[in-house]
Amino acid sequence: MLEKIMATEEAITSSNNGFVQNPVGGSNPPALKKKRNLPGTPGKLTNFIFKNIDSSIYADPEAEVIALSPKTLMATNRFLCEICGKGFQRDQNLQLHRRGHNLPWKLKQRTNKEVKKRVYVCPEKTCVHHHPSRALGDLTGIKKHFCRKHGEKKWKCEKCSKRYAVQSDWKAHSKTCGTREYKCDCGTLFSRRDSFITHRAFCDALAEETARVNAVSSIHDLTAGSINYDLTGNPLGPNMAQHFSSIFKPISSNDNQTRQGGVSLWMNQGLAQVSEAMGNNIQEVHQLRSVTSSGAMFGDLFAVSCSQTPPSDHYQLNWPVFGNKILSDAGASQLASVPSLYSSQEQQSHRTAPASMSATALLQKAAQIGATSTDPSFLGSFALKSNANKVQDASKFYGLYGSSPVSTNPASDVESSGNDQISTLNQLQMYPSKRQKIFQSDQDSPSGGQTRDFLGVGVQAICHPSSINGWI
Amino acid sequence: MKLSLEKVVQPLESKGGSPITHGYNSLQSPMDITLFSSKGTLTHLFPSHQQSNDRVAAIDMQSNSSTNNQPQTSHTSTSRSSDSGEACGAGKKWASKLLSECARAISEKDSSKIQNLLWMLNELASPYGDCDQKLASYFLQALFCKATESGQRCFKTLTTVAEKSHSFDSARKLILKFQEVSPWTTFGHVASNGAILEALDGESKLHIIDISHTLCTQWPTLLEALATRNDETPHLKLTVVVTASIVRSVMKEIGQRMEKFARLMGVPFEFHVISGLNHLGELTKEGLGVQEDEAIAINCNGALKRVEVEERNSVIQMFRSLNPRVLTIVEEEADFTSSRYDFVKCFEECLRYYTLYFEMLEESFVPTSNERLMLERECSRNIVRVLACDEENDGAGECCERRERGSQWFERLREAFSPAGFSDDVVDDVKALLKRYRDGWAQVLAQGDHESGIYLTWKEEPVVWASAWKP
Repeated sequence: MLEKIMATEEAITSSNNGFVQNPVGGSNPPALKKKRNLPGTPGKLTNFIFKNIDSSIYADPEAEVIALSPKTLMATNRFLCEICGKGFQRDQNLQLHRRGHNLPWKLKQRTNKEVKKRVYVCPEKTCVHHHPSRALGDLTGIKKHFCRKHGEKKWKCEKCSKRYAVQSDWKAHSKTCGTREYKCDCGTLFSRRDSFITHRAFCDALAEETARVNAVSSIHDLTAGSINYDLTGNPLGPNMAQHFSSIFKPISSNDNQTRQGGVSLWMNQGLAQVSEAMGNNIQEVHQLRSVTSSGAMFGDLFAVSCSQTPPSDHYQLNWPVFGNKILSDAGASQLASVPSLYSSQEQQSHRTAPASMSATALLQKAAQIGATSTDPSFLGSFALKSNANKVQDASKFYGLYGSSPVSTNPASDVESSGNDQISTLNQLQMYPSKRQKIFQSDQDSPSGGQTRDFLGVGVQAICHPSSINGWI
Repeated sequence: MKLSLEKVVQPLESKGGSPITHGYNSLQSPMDITLFSSKGTLTHLFPSHQQSNDRVAAIDMQSNSSTNNQPQTSHTSTSRSSDSGEACGAGKKWASKLLSECARAISEKDSSKIQNLLWMLNELASPYGDCDQKLASYFLQALFCKATESGQRCFKTLTTVAEKSHSFDSARKLILKFQEVSPWTTFGHVASNGAILEALDGESKLHIIDISHTLCTQWPTLLEALATRNDETPHLKLTVVVTASIVRSVMKEIGQRMEKFARLMGVPFEFHVISGLNHLGELTKEGLGVQEDEAIAINCNGALKRVEVEERNSVIQMFRSLNPRVLTIVEEEADFTSSRYDFVKCFEECLRYYTLYFEMLEESFVPTSNERLMLERECSRNIVRVLACDEENDGAGECCERRERGSQWFERLREAFSPAGFSDDVVDDVKALLKRYRDGWAQVLAQGDHESGIYLTWKEEPVVWASAWKP
């Protein structure tokens, strides 16, 4: 590894703007070929995708490590025209400019011999990128890094007085500053960030959410250890606090063909399969989370159908609590509170996230975690759709898997029969063709398989005729 | 029965209904009971002036008869044009002229003049009119209380009325709306937060002692800054000291909201309220729960003016004993202290300051704003307190707000602390803040030897002073 101070720069492919990413600090570098954009190709998307396959020391152990001086890194416009004093960042540009003055000019040719790959380290000793193993592959990149982290922030946004060291950062910010609108959960729009923050801190939407969370968790504590409930209020098996899947344990009143029973039947069938498949790990919790998040929407219809006052049991109290809220309030904030049910099981890191997640975010998260082979776009679109209407969506979901009070739902075609699903699914925009294949091929796949729909419920749960029929 | 008595006691349609009429009622009651008694003289006002009784009675009759012809007027802005045939006329600043005259008359104990002017003001004033009328109305109330020495009672009534209609929701709505339309409070917040963040940068255990009455609206942005500024978020303990009873009642709810918000931001947070104090002098290190390994910042926003004048220096010394990293002071720019024994001077200063404030309110809010009305009522209580309550504390502990100017505070603070200027970044932040509001606001750096900090100016008049101090 060589280290030398560079006196001149050369025009390295500049299209590779976004740089960085350093591979995971491991001992065995992956033998990956370095990807380099062709000059002129827009680099942003490819940069994102190939972020991890960067030209770092791992990619090419033979690369030349260069440590430029801080002066060099921070310098701009080092090439000056002797006539008018105009500064340029590159020699090539200066040469072209000199043509205008009728001065002799000469463009440096790129050397024909094999260009040695160069990587750059940050001269700042305390910096992570000082070590050659974490060098950056791009000259522009290292310059920007140095300015950002170790440089003086000379550029200031007029509107919000945010400071930047790199001019391009500042420019980019100025374009969007003030145009962004902040929306609180309660629906109010703000153009100013500080008034948004202050409002948010005192907003009722925030308070309600946590009030419900507190209510849930306090009851949660009460029932710790002994009592378990099911949908219809009969005590169940193991405690919810210990294992979530216990909630969905089959109950003796399976054969109840009332609507309530139908709900429980479906849930138990589908979710029981799910619960069997899952071990006690975070993955499971996430999938359960996604189950319950949609379950909350079911809960609302459930709550609608429940005419009697909710009994004091744990389970029922949870869902109608959320359910009622969905009916009356913005649905987004309700779902955000659902993950709090898992607070005892989740790690602390999950705790802070839920409060601020909207329905869209939750569903998308569920999609990311739960669906490994499911087409993400389906989930994305689904999530988007779900955010559009609050109550309507709930009925839609309901209709998707069972008899729906909403007759206009095209998804109600789905449950005509399990086997007809594939053809009827075609009619649904939400199901891209890829989805069909999943349905076809995985009819018999174990529930622990990779195919899951947005609910995280095994596909067969949907396809299972009897469960569908249970709805009707 | 005197015509003036009738004028005063107007039948009010919705008595005891909304808070709007409450204030109105209490405005009326002291007047009709004491000023215009059935005897029809003002003798009880100045019992020493027995010899002028007849004169007073005569003038009373005169003014009575002269106004007999005039029809009863209602207290609306339309009455102005018909009534202002009297001496001063309907000029632009008639209120300040009349009020100043009246104040002088009171200090000279010229009872006939007082009577005259009070009556005139009563005619022209209205709490729902334009700026002049409002000022006239509220200052009239204070002047009247001063003349009849009923300031304490009046203040108590006003406070009770205000407390009844006060709730977390109304207080929150009020302050957030005020902050939206005017940088009066947010100026101090931004400057103080900037100074605090810079002084406590790098610390991992922060303890901020907040002595203010802005209902913790300063802290959300600070919490956000703590969360996003550095990679490691420090632990923040916030101890809020409140003395006003009106604020005390909502602190619990506020605390809960702050805790939730801090959780949302991902900042480890602790919240304490100290509300049992009668006055700031009773604060102690132990009472505040100050620990050795904490980095302390003391934030005084409008707090020092509530301290008794004689105790101010000792309170500042107490702050010094806590050894904070930074002490931020925000105070409104007015001087009611040096003139507290000179009624007229104090009155003039009061009038000047509140004229500015009312004008600012008028231009910032929409004309029909309820929030503005509530703020004005709050001012009216303060005005009565300053002008008509003669330093007699009834033990309830709420000291009247004897404001001092920035330069005066500077002198006091210099004894125990050394001034720390605001950094350029903070100044820029304030500039950016002011840009978001209407025209008319600017910031001015304090200059001179006896100056430190920055002033918020409204139409080139300094109105709020913010400064930072280090031990």
